[in-house]
Amino acid sequence: MAFYEQHIHPKPTTFLSKYIFSYDHKVIGKQFLWYGILFLLVGGLMALMIRWTLAYPGQAFPIIGHFLFPETGGAVPPDTYAMLFTMHGTIMIFYAITPILIGAFGNFCIPLMLGARDMAFPLLNMLSFHLAALSGLILMASLFTPLGAAAGGWTSYPTLSTLIGSPGVGQTLWSLAIFVLGVSSTMGAVNYITTIITLRAPGMGYFDMPLTIWGLGLTAVLNAIFLPVLGAGVLLLIFDRVFGTTFFLAGAAATTGTGDPVLFQHVFWIFGHPEVYILILPAWGIVSDQLSFFARKPAFGAKATALSMTSITVLSTLVYGHHMFTTQMSPLLTQTFMTLTMTISIPSAIFFANWLGTIWKGSIRFHSPMLFSLGVVFVFGLGGLTGLYLGTVTTDLYLHDTYFVVGHFHYTMAASVLLGGFAATYFWMPKMFGTIMNEFWAKVHFWITMMGLNGVFFGMMLVGYGGMHRRIYNPFIYEFTQKLIPINTFTTWAAIVMGLAQIIFVINFVHAVFFKKEQASDNPWEVGTLEWTIPSPAPHYNFKDIPVVKCGPHEFGNPNLSGGKDYQYQTEELA
Amino acid sequence: MANKLTFMEMISPPEDISENGHLIDYLFNYTTTLNIFFFVLVCIGLFGFSFLYHRKRHPKAYYTYGNKRVHILVATVIGIAVFIGIDLNITRLSNNDYIGIFINWPDETKEDVVKVQVLGQQWAWNFRQAGVDGVFNTEDDLVTLNDLRVPAGKKVVFQILSKDVIHSLYFPNARRKTDAIPGRITRMWIQFNKPGNYDIACAEMCGTYHYRMKASLTVYEQENYDHWLAEAQQIHDAVNDPEDAGIYWGWKWAPNGKVNKVGMTK
Repeated sequence: MAFYEQHIHPKPTTFLSKYIFSYDHKVIGKQFLWYGILFLLVGGLMALMIRWTLAYPGQAFPIIGHFLFPETGGAVPPDTYAMLFTMHGTIMIFYAITPILIGAFGNFCIPLMLGARDMAFPLLNMLSFHLAALSGLILMASLFTPLGAAAGGWTSYPTLSTLIGSPGVGQTLWSLAIFVLGVSSTMGAVNYITTIITLRAPGMGYFDMPLTIWGLGLTAVLNAIFLPVLGAGVLLLIFDRVFGTTFFLAGAAATTGTGDPVLFQHVFWIFGHPEVYILILPAWGIVSDQLSFFARKPAFGAKATALSMTSITVLSTLVYGHHMFTTQMSPLLTQTFMTLTMTISIPSAIFFANWLGTIWKGSIRFHSPMLFSLGVVFVFGLGGLTGLYLGTVTTDLYLHDTYFVVGHFHYTMAASVLLGGFAATYFWMPKMFGTIMNEFWAKVHFWITMMGLNGVFFGMMLVGYGGMHRRIYNPFIYEFTQKLIPINTFTTWAAIVMGLAQIIFVINFVHAVFFKKEQASDNPWEVGTLEWTIPSPAPHYNFKDIPVVKCGPHEFGNPNLSGGKDYQYQTEELA
Repeated sequence: MANKLTFMEMISPPEDISENGHLIDYLFNYTTTLNIFFFVLVCIGLFGFSFLYHRKRHPKAYYTYGNKRVHILVATVIGIAVFIGIDLNITRLSNNDYIGIFINWPDETKEDVVKVQVLGQQWAWNFRQAGVDGVFNTEDDLVTLNDLRVPAGKKVVFQILSKDVIHSLYFPNARRKTDAIPGRITRMWIQFNKPGNYDIACAEMCGTYHYRMKASLTVYEQENYDHWLAEAQQIHDAVNDPEDAGIYWGWKWAPNGKVNKVGMTK
């Protein structure tokens, strides 16, 4: 089905052409992986500072506090606190999760799982990473500007994010960084979509693609449509800040003409709600595949799962208004958005049923990727169900902008996506780097992370239900939050435990990449998708001969199989 | 004090002092009950299957694509059960409360309501009541900073505006919040029932001292309120300087909420 000849060029030989200016999708995937892990650590450290401040406001942050904030004796000052949660959100969403799930595994998996030698546009792919790197540089540089980095929240609502609320250059650099990153991700998205359409191996129909590719493909569609919207929004914000326009200024704040700050919220959430699904769809795809791989059983209702993900993709574009109930939209719009939001639970429930159907009567192998995938089912169940409180307008009037929202979106975006990302990392490690990570420490990592993140995010929902609102530096100056102090302290310690558990991962990962001598076999998990038909790590240009696909990706336990295998490669024909 | 509370007391929301806050608590608890039911089902599947179909106990997987009629039926029934069982139920409840109560504005021409104009600014709340003449933005208006006093048992109608960035007027004890937006008046009505002293907060990130944008809400019995009102008016009239343009930040009260986007009157 490939539309055109895929040429093989000689291997790059110099360091620069091999590791920096590489066209190879596998190298670009690894670049994104390192980039994402680096930002994950930065964002994670910021999270710990935020948590520390919420539990012990005014007390010195342990170990590095005195070095970072000498003028306050080590405690996080309030203005820095606002920068920390702004940058934490921005970094985690745009610079950690997006590069790991979409940049790294999108790049790595799409050609390999489709039986292609590279992406459709290798040069565009390289530029996409370099723009992302530039964007990361701009964002980090903003931390060192005179008034510091952006501090208006990751949503950056005007008029706080205009010169009225944020006079420093940090907010301008933030907007610029997001704009550049938007260009980078749009390039990637166009590339993914084209690759999936044109470079599927001969014989591979859309329903023969692994569900991972479905998830990544749908994400790319949303990215291509909605990132330009965000780009337009932040560009107008830059105009307001730098050229004195008044798109988002109004009331007493507007000097001439009049704009509307709520306009930005519309633009932001038209992008922002799909963004949630942009982040979670790859994880859903990966989980749907891995549950089948490790239960040694075809994915239950794979077609229905794929179509459910597709309908969620469509619905996700129609529900963004539930983020704006408190701005008092017209009642008709409020009712419409509430009802549309609720319809998302039909496809969600269907693929949840399919996930459970997949492990039903399976023969489950509890390797580390499987543990993480099952973890996603658990935390996404919690995250999805708690969304209901926020979808119904009256409960949202109370819970909006409280820690309940923070807990909810961390369950859906942080916990689920993080666990999905770990599942992917442990799973594709042999194909990426040729070694397998230590299984024992992977499981230790899983259990501590799982306990830690549930402690953190459930604790957040509890204090949110108790009424504690978001983005406050010191929650203890209110009467009604006094009794929440012990839960805040507990949440902080859960976060510290979870943070420390990631050291296990980093050591395990670095050891497997650089120091492990023992090579992984070509197919350690005994899975039939195309990337496991080639050597580990994947060779230059992946496939010497373009494979011909003869069956679906989840052919496990077929009674017609012979030869002692319980799985079938996608290139094999059934007897 | 915090140590003596039980866990359930610790995580319960602040005391409800309003006429209709219990509707929100009810919907929350109702949703929680349904959620627990469905999440327990998920957990039974997740942990039950993980235990039963561990490769040691179940070495040979059952070969199915889940495309038999009964499989499709089960998945569809689950999807529809969740939609009808939870979603339609809570949407109906929420919609009834929303349309019937929360945006069912009291008719100001017939009902005796307390009218308050609220102006958010970095980082304080200004409250304005109309004074003896009953007209807003005149020199006898009663203006307070971070101090809202209202009578119990009467509907209070707020018109809310911001003069710099977006804020959100948040009454944890009434389970309500409404954004204060520059250039656009938003509204909210609440009936406070229980006299006492409570917190008002800003729920929308509004800058460095967002966390300190705290005001106090005092709910009086009607006679105490009348007493306070008379006394406050006296003090106000004595110290107020009608020449000071700064006191006229209010706007014309559009009755029955016929406002949407207005500039501030001078």
